[in-house]
Amino acid sequence: MSLLVSLLASTLFISNAMKTEYNSILDSYPNIIITNQKAMRDSTIDENLVDRVLKIKGVTSVVARVWGEYEFTQSEKKFMLIGRDEFESYASPTINAIRSIEPDSMLISVGVYEALQKAYYREYFNFIKSDGTLKKITIQKGYIGSTIQEQESLIVMSKENLKEIFNYKESEATDLSVSVANENEVAFIAGKIKALFPNMKVVVKNDLRVEYENIYNLRSGFFLTIFIITFFTFFIIIYDKVSGLNSEQKHEIGILKAIGWRVGDVLNAKLYEGLIISLFSYLVGISMAFIFVYVLDAPLLKKIFLNNYDLMSDFSINFSVDYETLSLLFLLSVPIYIAATIIPSWRVATLEADEVMR
Amino acid sequence: MIKLLDVSKLYENDVTALKNINIDFKEGELVVLKGVSGSGKSSILSLIAGLSKPSSGEVIVDEKKISKMADHFISVYRRENIGFIFQKYNLISTLSVAENILLPLVPLNLKKDELEKRLSYVLKLFNIESKRHTIVKNLSGGEQQRTAIARANINSPKIILADEPTANLDEKLSLEFIEMLRDLKSQNRTIIVATHDPLFFNLEFVDRVLEVSNAEIL
Repeated sequence: MSLLVSLLASTLFISNAMKTEYNSILDSYPNIIITNQKAMRDSTIDENLVDRVLKIKGVTSVVARVWGEYEFTQSEKKFMLIGRDEFESYASPTINAIRSIEPDSMLISVGVYEALQKAYYREYFNFIKSDGTLKKITIQKGYIGSTIQEQESLIVMSKENLKEIFNYKESEATDLSVSVANENEVAFIAGKIKALFPNMKVVVKNDLRVEYENIYNLRSGFFLTIFIITFFTFFIIIYDKVSGLNSEQKHEIGILKAIGWRVGDVLNAKLYEGLIISLFSYLVGISMAFIFVYVLDAPLLKKIFLNNYDLMSDFSINFSVDYETLSLLFLLSVPIYIAATIIPSWRVATLEADEVMR
Repeated sequence: MIKLLDVSKLYENDVTALKNINIDFKEGELVVLKGVSGSGKSSILSLIAGLSKPSSGEVIVDEKKISKMADHFISVYRRENIGFIFQKYNLISTLSVAENILLPLVPLNLKKDELEKRLSYVLKLFNIESKRHTIVKNLSGGEQQRTAIARANINSPKIILADEPTANLDEKLSLEFIEMLRDLKSQNRTIIVATHDPLFFNLEFVDRVLEVSNAEIL
């Protein structure tokens, strides 16, 4: 029973952690993202388009974003580099909260700090530019990042530095992020942008949400399978218990009755027995799930959930005590097990002691 | 003290265990019921202990019709009045000697001191103190028998019923058991022994030997 509780709890913990994480990631996304497409591939976009987009009614701000992934080969980790201009407003609360970045400096997350420390980069880091030369960027004090993904891989520096590393031209950006005053108008404004720039790819936040949810729901299928199998196994155990006691257990109840125990005394003893066994199993199962998910980072199970899942590639499970899940598992395991212990005992205890022992 | 009035017992498979039995057992009496296996001796003990109910007739103990009692009250009656020594001892094999002996007292919620006092007394009386913490399945037949007798006496019952008590014992241990019976008899307990062991038939402290055959008392 401990194993079943543990398996079920592990899948619920991971599933909930994923849902929480993708919701917090989506919260930091702008309403609309415009990217340039060349030969069906993402390309840089002209910053001067910002003014044209701003002219569309309902658009409150447009930011030419400069960002990209940087592969840190020493630890096989991908850093997310984001360029920040202090006069611009960003959808991500983490980026928006940054006020000043010193020249040729960067702000890093804990995950990046640890990766750089391991490679002995304590004061600065040399980024390899596309032409093979190095760009030295000093590490500014303090950590950034609120979502798990940000805490794992985020680096923020000035747009100028980032453009230099990625070899962007002065007026080039990665994409344009568009904020819209009225959420209900997002689709309409996205249509207008599409009409204005037919060669551009226009992605609205809702599309991303659907994409995340699709992947999440696919993983939920795995979860559902595990859930059903676990429950089926649990109910077989319960059915086996309810359908009758073995001859030794019956004989024991017969002995207890023969030495003067009343039906109530037998049921009391069985209640305590069921309570102790099921509570112990529940606590052991939950502890095993906590260790498996939060200490060992759910090996195998996490892979099943996140397989080929680029959107949350750096996802690591954040520790949280989900009381709803714990209560659900408690209600599904402890009372049912106790009932399954008491019912067959009651059936036997109400028979004549002589008949039970014979 | 114990009366069986016109008692018959029929089991579900239409086997007649007892036919119109009438017996009277007096207080402090030691009666041996002799007979072959299946003659109905054990059924008489079972009815007196309230472990089963007669198909017809009445079982009266201390003026109480125990054959008419509800299950709840019959359990209390059994706990307060009866010490049953079973042929196969009927101990719980995974518990220790002390735990088995104390089982009848569990529903009473007695204080630890009281439990210890009663336990020490019976352990000493039946010479099984040294095995107090031993798990029952690790005991010899004689030790299990002594544990079963100690359990049957933990409540100081007025009536002791023993069903084939020496069936699994050798002669030496059987004689030991008989000595224990003598002690219990001296305490004015009413004792009924169902047995086909000839050792019991000519004991000077046995008050009566009744023969049970084909569900009837001869």
